Amino acid sequence: MTTLFSRAGSLLRNTTCKGQVDRELTEEVGSYVELLTEKKMKEGMNEREARRAAMVEVGGIEQVKEEVRASRTGFAIEIFFQDLRYGMRSLLKKPGFTLTAVIALALGIGANTAIFSVINGVLLRSLSYANPDRIVMLWERSVTDTRRQMQNVISPANFLDWQKQSTSFEQMAAVGDQRVNLTGGTGEPEEIKAQFVSQPFFAALGVQPLVGRSFLPEEDTVGNDLVIILSHELWQTRFASDPQIVGKQATISGRQRTIVGVMPSGFHFLDNQVRSWMPLALDPAIDYREKTGRYLRAVARLKPAVTVQQAQGELAGIAKQLEQAFPKKNTGWGVNVVPMHEQVVGEIRPILIVLLAAVAFVLLIACANVANLLLSRAAARQKELALRAALGATRMRLVRQMLTESVLLALMGGVLGVLLAYWGIQVLIAFGPDNIPRLNEITIDPRVLGFTFGISLLTGILFGLIPALQASRPDLNDALKEGSRGSTGGRSRTFRNIFVVAEVSLALVLLVGAGLMIRSFMRLQSVETGFNPENVLTMRAQLPRKKYTEPHQIVDFFKQAQERIAALPGVQAVGAISYLPLTGLASRDSFRVVGEPPAAPGQEPGVEVRVITPGYFQAMGIPLLKGRLLNERDVKESRVLLINETMAKKYFGGVDPVGKQMEVFWDGSGPDEIVGVVGDIREGALNKEPEPAIYWSHWRVPYSGMALVVRTSGDAARFGTAVQKEIRALDPEQPVADVRTMQQVIAKSIARPRFNTLLLSIFAGVALVLASVGLYGVMNYSATQRTHEVGIRMALGATRADIMRLVVGNGMLLTFIGIGIGVAASLLLTRVMASLLFGVTATDAPTFLGVSLVLAAVALVANYIPARRATRVDPVIALRYE
Amino acid sequence: MKTNFCILLLTVYRSLIQILYMSTRDDDLKADLLQGTLDLLVLKALSAQSLHGLGVSNRISQITNGTFDVKPGSLFPALHRMEEAGWLKAEWGESENNRRAKFYSLTKAGRRQLETETEDWQRISLAIGSALRAS
Repeated sequence: MTTLFSRAGSLLRNTTCKGQVDRELTEEVGSYVELLTEKKMKEGMNEREARRAAMVEVGGIEQVKEEVRASRTGFAIEIFFQDLRYGMRSLLKKPGFTLTAVIALALGIGANTAIFSVINGVLLRSLSYANPDRIVMLWERSVTDTRRQMQNVISPANFLDWQKQSTSFEQMAAVGDQRVNLTGGTGEPEEIKAQFVSQPFFAALGVQPLVGRSFLPEEDTVGNDLVIILSHELWQTRFASDPQIVGKQATISGRQRTIVGVMPSGFHFLDNQVRSWMPLALDPAIDYREKTGRYLRAVARLKPAVTVQQAQGELAGIAKQLEQAFPKKNTGWGVNVVPMHEQVVGEIRPILIVLLAAVAFVLLIACANVANLLLSRAAARQKELALRAALGATRMRLVRQMLTESVLLALMGGVLGVLLAYWGIQVLIAFGPDNIPRLNEITIDPRVLGFTFGISLLTGILFGLIPALQASRPDLNDALKEGSRGSTGGRSRTFRNIFVVAEVSLALVLLVGAGLMIRSFMRLQSVETGFNPENVLTMRAQLPRKKYTEPHQIVDFFKQAQERIAALPGVQAVGAISYLPLTGLASRDSFRVVGEPPAAPGQEPGVEVRVITPGYFQAMGIPLLKGRLLNERDVKESRVLLINETMAKKYFGGVDPVGKQMEVFWDGSGPDEIVGVVGDIREGALNKEPEPAIYWSHWRVPYSGMALVVRTSGDAARFGTAVQKEIRALDPEQPVADVRTMQQVIAKSIARPRFNTLLLSIFAGVALVLASVGLYGVMNYSATQRTHEVGIRMALGATRADIMRLVVGNGMLLTFIGIGIGVAASLLLTRVMASLLFGVTATDAPTFLGVSLVLAAVALVANYIPARRATRVDPVIALRYE
Repeated sequence: MKTNFCILLLTVYRSLIQILYMSTRDDDLKADLLQGTLDLLVLKALSAQSLHGLGVSNRISQITNGTFDVKPGSLFPALHRMEEAGWLKAEWGESENNRRAKFYSLTKAGRRQLETETEDWQRISLAIGSALRAS
């Protein structure tokens, strides 16, 4: 222990009072020599002889001092700082080289840091729940011939049975998503997203409210459920962060609810737009199995010793029993237990992996680039290194010196890279689609900085090692000769060529990836939607059930709203639909065609159910193909529906469906007559084929929340205020949400692929630039190296064209090898992208061809410039060129 | 192409080995052994009185009957190293003929170190001795 402290003290002294320590050493050794001389004189030598003998015995004062220095604590550190200072000086002496290298590295490291911080924020950092690895999502699953749903919402009846019978979970909670209207507090009436949760919800997630308390068990029962918990954001914006909020009232869809708590900032469950939570209050007396469909999601916390597989096994057993007990509703329905983390990030994992690979490639290209720069520089520094070697520097010392320099470069690149990444992340968050989970939680935290530091060190060693080893064994004899050309021999050129080939092939892989994404995105954008999105304004209104209790009140409200809007100048058509296309929402049910044998339970074909008001098809520009559309006279009793083209083709074949009867099971009220066939549209997403669908009139299913669709004569966005005013005039407390043009709706539905394409294209662009700069650098260098040779060739009669062919041919050979390797690697690697592509295969030949041509063209330019310079050489000068 | 790649791999491998085993080369091992002996002799030489560098060297030569003649090139590094380890302390003083010199003496830790090293050495020399006597 004493030793340790003493050493620490010496280290401090050796590094801080270096001068004094050294002076004392000089004096000490000097006094030794004097004393020895005196001793020799005493033994009978004269002074000169004695001093000489003493010096011989000591063997060189400087050497002794050097030995002492080398034995001191912190000697290695001192050497390191020497290397660092020397490295810094030599880097500053060549600012052009340093700047080029640092920028290349900063691009590579910055891209890696940015993407790593996304991965850190989205994939690695645990969810803000307690012990998130024990939280699972529960889904129903149905894999039959007609339905393939791995994650289907749950019937409340099934949820209650799971809850009652399972033993794998500490808590199990159901969640129903809804939009509600908030009035009161500060501001206009507002539609907010809410989650209706059963009581153990917060316990299952392991999160406590910031203010107040979570729900009590008795509040999860009908009649006692008029309580609400606010999100932090709602508390701030709507209630001015009132610290005395608990116990106050909020009016939600016309009902007074007591505020019992506020959740901490950032808390959300699956959807970060949700602003409040209320008790779900399932009523055990109601037969949900018969009365309602499937609409709940469920979250549960596993007991400590229970694995996901065990829970899955137990629930599957329960589901099997339920299938037997309720064949009509449960045949073909099983359970799917999904770990929470998988649920949140599973979908975006492929693109993050692709992006991570992309930035790793960019970094490798940058490394190869800088390694080549260093190789060229090492050739120029050969004399310096040879001199140091001649003065006694060991090879190790030279390698260490060179590595210190390259790590220094890499660290400078790292610092600049972090700045780039910081800026890049801001751009990512600003332009990123808002449906990437937890994108806004991304920051540069210590883990990201650690990662950056790590890859900087690693890259420094990676690109520095080969040049360092190459340069550290100079041929002293040759290198020190005056006027030697300092050629670096064949091996160095081989390395350079390998690096160029590697750069080209890596860049090709990236370009292929980006090319595939771009082509896929273009396909996506040119998909025939089936409707005309131009000049269409959309918005949503959700009527509170408390206020609009009767179906006719709801229908009348939308009818009047439509009439008022239609009267606005410039409005051409108005309609409403239950769920707007391309928002990913839909109702589904099973059906049968009257006159055909019924399907076995669980095997009934499914159909999308959409509810519309007259005017919807005109407003959206969807064509009527056969029969008639629905109109004002199609009230509840008229029992008619429309089908889409896919439905007509799939289930009626060549027969005219108009006039046929079909039954959608919905409320069990019997069959309807098909009165018309309308055109297919892309409903769920642009990349999803149209599904069979039916349209009912609003009278038949009076949804209280509808999306209004307004076709206007000009720029639809301009009509927003006027339309909202009309609705406000109808009911001043009624909020209107999501006022967007249909084109914005489409854009949002493909925001994610657009974003992915953009990112990958940026990285591929950076890769292309780095690779072509690298190629140019190497070609330029070798052209300069070959000036002498070119001179000889020209003197012997070679034409400029010959020289051009020689130099360009050499570079293009490397390029084509690189492209060949790149194509082969791409064929293997782009497979992982398959799930991200639409309309193109991962081995799309035009993309591969086009990208190879682009790369070859860029390489040709990078080769041509130095080659042309080589041909301009005057043979006489070239031959004299030293 | 292939051969060059192999050379590249070998070069990387060899340099990694070099970096990993930098501190345990053969001559370092030998130095360690000698260093232990030298340390013990220096500690012993200083156990009776404080001495300057030449004094230590003379004293060692004297107590080993001239077997060990420690040159400044190894003496000074040892003295400084042991001072940094806290076994010795150094003070400037006057030599017998009034020359300024740096005098070294044992610290408490130095004395303890002398004891342990003496014990260790005796155990080892006994063991080696009996090993050499065995037939």
